[in-house]
Amino acid sequence: MSFNVLIVDDSSAMRAVIKKVIGLSGFKMDSCLEAGNGREAMELLSEQWVDVIISDINMPEVNGLEFLELLRENETLKEIPVIMITTEASEQRMQGAFDRGAKGFIKKPFLPEEIKRVLYEVIGVGSDGQYEEDTRDADEFDF
Amino acid sequence: MGNMKKTQEMLMNSIFDVFEKMFFVFLEPCDEEMKYDMITSIEFAGSVKGDIRAYLSTGIANFMVENMLGLGANEITDKTREDCAKEALNMIAGSFVNKLDASSVFDLSIPSYEKKSGRFGMASPGKLNLVFDSDGLFLGISMNMVDGGK
Repeated sequence: MSFNVLIVDDSSAMRAVIKKVIGLSGFKMDSCLEAGNGREAMELLSEQWVDVIISDINMPEVNGLEFLELLRENETLKEIPVIMITTEASEQRMQGAFDRGAKGFIKKPFLPEEIKRVLYEVIGVGSDGQYEEDTRDADEFDF
Repeated sequence: MGNMKKTQEMLMNSIFDVFEKMFFVFLEPCDEEMKYDMITSIEFAGSVKGDIRAYLSTGIANFMVENMLGLGANEITDKTREDCAKEALNMIAGSFVNKLDASSVFDLSIPSYEKKSGRFGMASPGKLNLVFDSDGLFLGISMNMVDGGK
């Protein structure tokens, strides 16, 4: 199974590094979209579905936290898991991102293994790069 | 004096961490004056506020681009050098303010960049100036900080 990824960061160098690291980790990408800020990301998302978003926080025009809020307001887009990847990672900032729906957090600078670990955890992919099936019984869920 | 030394240590550790992890560049502090070809700047504001500037030679910027992006020498452009330099400073500042006060939220400005040549050295009143060498490639960092930010 392969995935569509969206990387949102105002640094083209950082977008290139993240894309390269994801590719080298064995994570199977069908496509990898890039956006320079939250506004560009929303425009891309209006045209194409992605399975996971990796976003910086500190960006011009629409920053990462504002982007999370825009996603949360959209009935369809709010289902896409978002991983924040950022330099200024105070506990308050991290909590602010999680409160707005982020599913994972990576601090810059990072080792390639960190991106791989968080990506795999958030999207539910095993170490072999394959999707892990949810094998829980129905009665384990509290409906 | 003790605080200044501790602040310097935090800043240096942030610089080493960023350059080693993201650019595979190993820096050694040095006392020499260096020639630079570009400057990036960033401001931070939180429980304290200030700014950090990085002075880079073309040589170290090229090395950073080659290592970070896997580009060959003939593929490196002014834009890629600028991008790497700004991102390096962004990460240094983020790491530094987190070490300075992990309980406070800091705002970081978008880094600015200027292609400008000059010489950078250690002595500058009221500022923390650092010079680093990596096999003959040089990086300069200056930081200015005041208490009582936002």
